[in-house]
Amino acid sequence: MSADHPPVRRYRPPAPLGGRRRATGSPAGRNTKALLFLAPALIVLGLFVVWPMISALRLSFTDASGFGREEWVGLENYAAVFTDPDILNAVTNTVLYTVLFTPTAVIAALGLALLLNSPRMPFRSFFRTALFVPFVVSFAVAAFAWSYLIDPQVGLVNYWLRGMGIRMGNVLEDPTWAMPMVAFVAVWKLFGFYFVIFLAGLQDIPNSLYEAARMDGAGPWSRLRNITLPMLSNTMAFVLVFATIAALQAFDQIYVMTGGGPYGNTQTVVMEIYESGFRKLDIGFASALSYVLLVATLILSLVQFVFFGRREKDLS
Amino acid sequence: MTRTRIWTGAAAALALTAAVAGCSGGGEDDGPVELTFWHGYSEADGDVLEEIVADFNASHDDITIDTELKTWDSIDDTLLTALSAGEGPGLVAMPAERLPVYASKGAFASLDDFYADEASNTANLVPGAVEMEEVEGEKFGVPSGFVPLAVYYNTALFEAGGVDEFPQTWDEWVEAAKRLTVDEDGDGTPEQYGVVLPDHATVANGLWPSLFYGNGGGIVDGGEAVIDSPENAETLEFWSGAIAADQISPTGVDGIGADELFSGGKAAMTVGGPWMASIATENGIDYAIAPLPAGPAEQAASAIGVSMAVTVDTSRAEQAAAEEFLSFFLNEENSVKWSLGSGWPPLRTDIPAEAVAENPVVASLTEIAATGRPLLPGVVNSVDVLSAVDELTQRAVAGEDVDALLAEAQAEVQAALED
Amino acid sequence: MSALGGTLTTARRRLRELRPSTVLATLALVVVSAIVLLPIAIIVLTAFKPAGEVNAFPPSLLPDTWTLDNLKEVTSELPFARLIGNSFLFAGGVTAFALVFDSLAAYALARIDFTGRKVLLVAIIATLMIPFQATLIPLYQLVADLGWVNTYAGLIAPRAADAFGIFFLRQFFLALPRDIDAAARMDGAGEFRIFRSVVLPNAMPALLTLGLFTFVNNWNDLLWPLVFTTDAEMGTITSGLTLLTGPSGIVPHGVMMAGSLIAIVPLVVAFLFVQRRFIENIATTGLK
Repeated sequence: MSADHPPVRRYRPPAPLGGRRRATGSPAGRNTKALLFLAPALIVLGLFVVWPMISALRLSFTDASGFGREEWVGLENYAAVFTDPDILNAVTNTVLYTVLFTPTAVIAALGLALLLNSPRMPFRSFFRTALFVPFVVSFAVAAFAWSYLIDPQVGLVNYWLRGMGIRMGNVLEDPTWAMPMVAFVAVWKLFGFYFVIFLAGLQDIPNSLYEAARMDGAGPWSRLRNITLPMLSNTMAFVLVFATIAALQAFDQIYVMTGGGPYGNTQTVVMEIYESGFRKLDIGFASALSYVLLVATLILSLVQFVFFGRREKDLS
Repeated sequence: MTRTRIWTGAAAALALTAAVAGCSGGGEDDGPVELTFWHGYSEADGDVLEEIVADFNASHDDITIDTELKTWDSIDDTLLTALSAGEGPGLVAMPAERLPVYASKGAFASLDDFYADEASNTANLVPGAVEMEEVEGEKFGVPSGFVPLAVYYNTALFEAGGVDEFPQTWDEWVEAAKRLTVDEDGDGTPEQYGVVLPDHATVANGLWPSLFYGNGGGIVDGGEAVIDSPENAETLEFWSGAIAADQISPTGVDGIGADELFSGGKAAMTVGGPWMASIATENGIDYAIAPLPAGPAEQAASAIGVSMAVTVDTSRAEQAAAEEFLSFFLNEENSVKWSLGSGWPPLRTDIPAEAVAENPVVASLTEIAATGRPLLPGVVNSVDVLSAVDELTQRAVAGEDVDALLAEAQAEVQAALED
Repeated sequence: MSALGGTLTTARRRLRELRPSTVLATLALVVVSAIVLLPIAIIVLTAFKPAGEVNAFPPSLLPDTWTLDNLKEVTSELPFARLIGNSFLFAGGVTAFALVFDSLAAYALARIDFTGRKVLLVAIIATLMIPFQATLIPLYQLVADLGWVNTYAGLIAPRAADAFGIFFLRQFFLALPRDIDAAARMDGAGEFRIFRSVVLPNAMPALLTLGLFTFVNNWNDLLWPLVFTTDAEMGTITSGLTLLTGPSGIVPHGVMMAGSLIAIVPLVVAFLFVQRRFIENIATTGLK
């Protein structure tokens, strides 16, 4: 396959948000062309994503319940978001979850990708497939299977650990361990996808860079630090941003495994959004909370892009 | 190759979508009134309900009711969106404590006139069941189920443990549970528990309210939080002591876990609903049913309630049709049929006990039906009240300071009520 | 078969030149894979356990007696052929549209220099940052206004393009060397020809990855089909599984695992089907 590529490929990794520009034709012509390519997606996104987002923004200033009358309440919902102790608790939990989930998933995916990128490893194909399989399992089923495995009465993992003299107890009802457990299930389910993206990113690093480094006498550790990681920074930014978005919107497996408990210790922001919207029928408040989450996510993502996307420039 | 396949696939999908979208615009017809009825009755109760609906449709040329079976959870997940776009069902059944919030937001039609009508068959409904349909003095629903929590016990384990008589008081209850708790290998974790008392998300959220009532306490009274009371403190201390010190029950279990432990034969007693009867039978467990042992103050139990309501997504004609069905559902014949088929006690006080004697489960539940109390009737924000109760009981069982917990719960419940 | 044989010979050759570090790494991978595959094993094996064994103590991984009762119960309780068909139409439809629309948009964002490109990109990514639960009600109202509740159109159209896919493909289109389309351009090929005949073929692994991602996510989505199809006939296998929950919320484990197994099998088959092109391709050429 490598024969498809020109022998000397000038590799320039793309910048995460900017990127190199191709200037052909007049600016107006380019704009028309771009619009034609963008139109189908923009129509779908505009109609089914942006329009509902605008509606939700409007609802966040009302006391809407989804049906019946609704009244304009100004910033009342936002004020409630920032003063409600339950929301503060949910924010703390979401941050904790993100800190538990994101680095674990990303580092596990990266480490395994580095390992399985090495041609020296036996059974590469099998391991790659095995590590990806959890991704096809739905969160609901994953949560269900893990809950069964760690059940304090009939759980297999619990039983095996007891055999080794480790008492695991009722993890999902333990205020300290419930959160690490639901984060672990998310790592289990999602890291395979990040792993595949990292594998792809690794394959994208031109061999010539390694050969040059080898000629300069660089060892494996130095090659990892000076070539692999910097060349992966773009992939890293991508994976990090999406892993963080996934973490900040944690819901599915928590809903199934703990329902936010024990006593609110796994209650996340999206659990609050769901509960206030679909259980208390307070759509106005749920919308306001969603927008606060959006702004927080946006800021965090931009920081990640700038921080991780910048470093590769040093390379060229 | 692959490229072509993807494009052809996309084109096919496009054509298909357009075709499907084209056919979807089925219009209104001016024939009989059609009503959709969402419910979550999935077992034998569902079969009987289908029968009653079929009878109704057969006897009413101008009305057709279409039932749609969903889980109780997914009714809650989808009713709001459906109603927000005028796509909701005409009739919906839901757990009774969920009714006030929908009613207060204007999702349901008022049934005051319906209740006032003699032909509605509502005159002799169990008073507690009707109470749970009321929000600020107005009625928004009709009960389809009302049954106090009861103790379901494993008769084989009772026999093996030498407990001949079912306990009548709390002390006897704990005593019996102690005798039925078995830790054979002496590792400190019993293999068999005397009773399983979940400390959160209990069956229909009713276990701890029941225990509070038994000692003369409560949660909400007349729209005010009354949870921080010396009676409740006593109750919590009594039971958390029994659970923690005497290990009569596992800790950290929820209502579903409790049902599972009982059906697995790992607990001799559980506090549950009528479905425990069929679950026990399925799992080959010989069981009997008894009222909750009386507390120091009284014998009382929180009830599991299900309500049916007419949504605002109905025309005048549809609303009339829905009411027609509700009174049909509540007539004498169907009340008996529903009770026998579903295993829940009759909703009407004027149904004689002999009428349901052929079903022993119903017969024993009917005996205690009067002791049932509706859970948080008329409380709009039951979500926050119940989560405050869950936190309270879970922490109390874990051994935290009961007085501090009660003060905290009191504040949370009061805040939820004023919300 | 020959592929398997090939793998074995390469494996054998590699075994001969093993270093201690490789042995250690392999052992670590075996342990990790075992942990990763344990829940899959429990789903498959519990599906064949009789009810009495499911909650037995001590628990065991393998059933003592194998039974098909759970699978039979699932197939009798759910119209599962219909549900799986719906799942295919829904997930497949979304995937087909999204691949086309996303790649078109990604091409413009990656390879055409137009005014406001950066702003548009950030705006597109920002749409991912609002939780789905927040826009569900306005979205549902819109779909209802279009008369699309309980239709495949209502299920598919709102997801016919998505920000993740656009951004994902844009990244890989950007990484394609700039000279690959020079020849075509010199021949006077228009932008669309270049997109179709130069960029897309080179991005096949990325398209497969995204396709799999989109398919799996939609296949597994629970709330979406639950909300947009009130009619049981229109449900998907994932939303249908919720109906296996018994009264009071007890989930019969054996039956639920059997249902989960039925839901997973088509995905695994689909995965194995594209796997050669997917992981193998990634392994040899990378996602570029």
